[in-house]
Amino acid sequence: MPTDKKITKEDTWKSDDLRRHIRGGGHDEESSGSRRRDDERRHRTGESVERRHRDPEREARREREKNRERDGTRERTKPRDTDKDRHQDRRKDDSRDRMGEKEERDKERSRAQDRVIKGTENVKYRNGDRDSRDKMHDRKEKENRDRERVKARERDTERTRERERDELRKSDRDKEKEKNKESETGERDRERKSDRDRKRNEERAEGGRDRDREHDREKRDRHKEREYLKETERYKDRSQKDKERKERHTDKEHSGQKEEREYREQHRKEKEERERRHKERAQHDTGESRRHDGESREVESERVHRERKGSDREREGKRDKHRERRHREEAGPERDPTERTSAKKSSSSSDLRVHKDKTEPVKTKVEIAEAPAEDCGYDEAQDYEEDFEKMDYEEDFEDVDDSEGEDEKQTRSHEEREAREEISSQRREEIEAIQRAMDEENERVGSAQPRLSTEEDDRPKRSRDSETPQSKVSQHGRFMDFVAAKHREVSKKVASKQKKRSTELLRLIDLDYSITFSLLDLPPVNEYDMYIKNFGTTNTKQAYVQCNEDNTDRDIQTEEIEMSEKWTQHPAERNVCCGGPKLSHEASDESVTKLSIDSQRLATFLRSASQVVAVLLEEDRAEKQSLKKLRTQADTLSFSDGCLQLNTKLPFLYGRQISLVQFSQVQRQTMLSVHNPSAKPSAVRLDSKTIICIWNIWEPSRPQKILVYESEVQCCCFSPGKATLVFAGTSVGSVVLWDLREHASAHYTLRIGENDWTLRHPTFSTDAVLAASGHMSSVSSVEAVPATVAEGLRPELPLLASDEESSGLSFQLASLDGNGVLNLWVVLELPKANDAGSHTDLGLRPGGKVKLLHSSTVLTTSERSSTRDAKKTTLLQTLLLKFLPSDSNHFFIGTNMGLVNHGTSHGLKAPPKFYRPQVVGFRPVDVASIDFSPFGEPIFLVGCGDGSVRLHTVLSEQPLMEWTSSTAGQPVVSVQWAQTRPTVFCVLDAASCLHIWDLLEKDFEPVITEKIDADRVTAMAVFGDPAKQNTYSGISLATQSGKIEMQYFSKRLTVPESADLEKLQIMMQEAF
Amino acid sequence: MTSTLVRQAQEWSVFKAAVVKECIHDILREQLSGVQYDPDEVGVLSRSLADCIKDKLKDVGFDRYKLVVQVVIGEQRGEGVKMAARCFWDADTDSYAQDIFMNDSLFCVAAAFGSYFY
Repeated sequence: MPTDKKITKEDTWKSDDLRRHIRGGGHDEESSGSRRRDDERRHRTGESVERRHRDPEREARREREKNRERDGTRERTKPRDTDKDRHQDRRKDDSRDRMGEKEERDKERSRAQDRVIKGTENVKYRNGDRDSRDKMHDRKEKENRDRERVKARERDTERTRERERDELRKSDRDKEKEKNKESETGERDRERKSDRDRKRNEERAEGGRDRDREHDREKRDRHKEREYLKETERYKDRSQKDKERKERHTDKEHSGQKEEREYREQHRKEKEERERRHKERAQHDTGESRRHDGESREVESERVHRERKGSDREREGKRDKHRERRHREEAGPERDPTERTSAKKSSSSSDLRVHKDKTEPVKTKVEIAEAPAEDCGYDEAQDYEEDFEKMDYEEDFEDVDDSEGEDEKQTRSHEEREAREEISSQRREEIEAIQRAMDEENERVGSAQPRLSTEEDDRPKRSRDSETPQSKVSQHGRFMDFVAAKHREVSKKVASKQKKRSTELLRLIDLDYSITFSLLDLPPVNEYDMYIKNFGTTNTKQAYVQCNEDNTDRDIQTEEIEMSEKWTQHPAERNVCCGGPKLSHEASDESVTKLSIDSQRLATFLRSASQVVAVLLEEDRAEKQSLKKLRTQADTLSFSDGCLQLNTKLPFLYGRQISLVQFSQVQRQTMLSVHNPSAKPSAVRLDSKTIICIWNIWEPSRPQKILVYESEVQCCCFSPGKATLVFAGTSVGSVVLWDLREHASAHYTLRIGENDWTLRHPTFSTDAVLAASGHMSSVSSVEAVPATVAEGLRPELPLLASDEESSGLSFQLASLDGNGVLNLWVVLELPKANDAGSHTDLGLRPGGKVKLLHSSTVLTTSERSSTRDAKKTTLLQTLLLKFLPSDSNHFFIGTNMGLVNHGTSHGLKAPPKFYRPQVVGFRPVDVASIDFSPFGEPIFLVGCGDGSVRLHTVLSEQPLMEWTSSTAGQPVVSVQWAQTRPTVFCVLDAASCLHIWDLLEKDFEPVITEKIDADRVTAMAVFGDPAKQNTYSGISLATQSGKIEMQYFSKRLTVPESADLEKLQIMMQEAF
Repeated sequence: MTSTLVRQAQEWSVFKAAVVKECIHDILREQLSGVQYDPDEVGVLSRSLADCIKDKLKDVGFDRYKLVVQVVIGEQRGEGVKMAARCFWDADTDSYAQDIFMNDSLFCVAAAFGSYFY
């Protein structure tokens, strides 16, 4: 508290000093300080005196001060009081006369200063003081003529209002100040009123009923006035804190209680004071009393001044809380019961307000908009509105005017002072000059104003009564009060509106506490997470980084996969084995064409393949059988290594004698057997016909092909190349051929027993067709002319020649009949078969492709007949024809005279014409067989009917060797060289004896003579492949009963020896 | 007074929490992204954020509302934080919206309360 006090004191005094400086041209600080102290002392004594005197006015004021002290403003009071005292003192020195004039001027000036300002506060101050003094003085007179004044004041209020209106037009800043002033004026009004009332009370006590009335009325008015001011105050102080409100509320209540006390006390005091004053007035002169009153006035105004200052200071920094509170507290003690009731009301309403206001501070914390706090102090306004309207403002406004003037001045002065503090002393002079100028200006204005004003008549009256501040006051109030009143009215309206609205709204609005909103709930991070966050990545190393992570590859199938449906069927259905829905036609066409192509090839393939397969199977079986038979018949034939019997037990072969057996020179497994027509009748109609069976020796179960001819076949041979053609010479003198390649379907198939047999008739026959060029007698021999038309002896094997020939069918065929007519035929193959039959080639069978063309005829016997031996050999018969394998131009014909003629084609002459036995002279011996050596040696064997066997060389007439008794006189049927050994040959005689000669071993007698007794052997053929020289060489023996046996030679007969050819060579050389 | 009520009814724009929240969210994200906690700057920052949000909300136009914006910025050090608000108001009209922004070094809670002003 002391420190606070000090500070405030200093602040205050400093400004005062400043003022003094300005006024008096600068005082010493120390002196002012000392004076201040003196003043203080004086003040204290004064106080004490006052207290002793128990001046009721002072008491009341003290009460008020106490209240203020509660707010912490008491400290200010003392210095101010003293200050006031000082002023008072100073003022005493001034002469009254001068003052009167001056005051008049000052007042006007002050009015101007309201707007203009600067440096006039001292004057104002003085004015204020003087005003108050004057007022005191005036009041005494005024009390005497209350009635008059009431009227006058009514006019005053009007004027005030006018002025208020004018004021409203001023700038904002001015307005604000105005407001403040207003409120302050209100305060002062109250104070003044209280003073006045007291005085009036005194007067009333002295006498005058009307004064009592007036007192009541005034009181009421005062109260209303106060209330209104409070309202405005509150209206202005929108920014009051909730706390303050509460405080205020409590204060109000508190003060309400207090008020009562105070009120009672006050009444008592007033009574006392009235009595005292009465006495005093009686005792003292008017001057003293005036002084006394003036002093009290002074003090009051002083206090107001202080308040002003305080509020100013607050405005500077703290806001108007204090002032507000002060107002309240000031209002408190002076409230009468009526006010209290209203106060209670207001408090009840303010309860509500407080309630509502609670929310407001929340808003205003950040943003302070126009506050709804307007409703503060509303109730009062409402309650008393009407009264207020009716009320006459006479006194109030007068006082207001006074105090307003003072207030303004003081405010100004305060501001000035503050400003001054900052302004340097150098500028003071300047300012003073300006002030002076302004004062003059103000005077001028002031002098002009009264004339303009509507109350010119009033003023003189007043000035007559006393040369007075009254007129000044009125003049002064003219400017201010209009604005204030107007403003009051407006604000009142607004306030009332808003208040009403708020009360209505508050009834509707429910305020409640919301649930607690959780704005943020951030749970604490546990230690582990914290650790990981801070140190989790330390000491770790990222080894792999996936860069370009978003650039992932995606597989996109840009080209559609071509798809089509296909089906397959195995085995193929209707020649189609596969296809799709779309291409079914094309595919089927293709497959059909393919198949058609395939069918031909397949047929050929199957045909050959079936043979192969059949052969293989037969071979297999035959081998097993032969092995079995070999064991059983091991001892039958000494030379034999095994035996295989062809299945000739066929119904159409039954009882037929096999006249001839022959092997193909190229296809050495192919054998044909000629079955003569049987004498015995059989079930089959083929009895009269000759049947030729084509065998594969590896397929012994059945003949491969069966050839049929109407008459007896004398001789037969294969084509020189492949065994595709079979030629035959018949007893009727025709030459026929069979094409084995012809399909079986083209021939007549006969079902005999359980099997079907295809009987092939000759493809081409010279019967009757080529009769002119044909044979007139039976054909004794048919021989294919070797195609190798090489001159001289060719060393190459016929096998090779046959290879060449196999490519085409271009060879010649020679046929020899018994009359010695040798016909040469050309075998032609037609390019295309004609199924309808040929018109030109009548001998050709329909569908046949091979035909014979007669090439030339050689008459061998005529030649001989032309010779000298022709008489002797008129009955010479040609029995055999053989061509020299190495030179087809040379042919050898066996005759019935035991001679072998050597003939040549194309007129060639060969040295030996005849090959005759060693016995000189002709004797009728048939040459039964001629066989050339297969090894290319120009030697041949001749078997004769007398049982002699000769070995001739081509070059010599005489035989190399001649064995006459080897067959024991039995005619030789067949002589054949073995295919694998050059020195081995077989001789079959008519007594069914087989003689096997081995010239290397014995050249005088056969090595083996084997007599087959069981069945007479009618034909014999040696088979084997000289090139291969395997063990499968042997001899085929055809018996009279029609059986064919394949006897395999033993090893010693088949394995060739190097000495064989040498032996032959030696034999040939010995001959020459 | 009746005319005032009518006006009120016309201008009645409710304090839409979602809209406000979005505003707050935008502002917080805009101004706080990448900001590190600095005790010296955060005071100013929070104030400016509050002003910014307030201005934005005024622009959005809650004319009849008193707005209170509270911005709290704290450092993230792993401690737990709990913030709550309790309001004494008319629940029919008054509302609030809040949004939180967090990054590694700080968290920021901005709450805007709107109280209807009759």
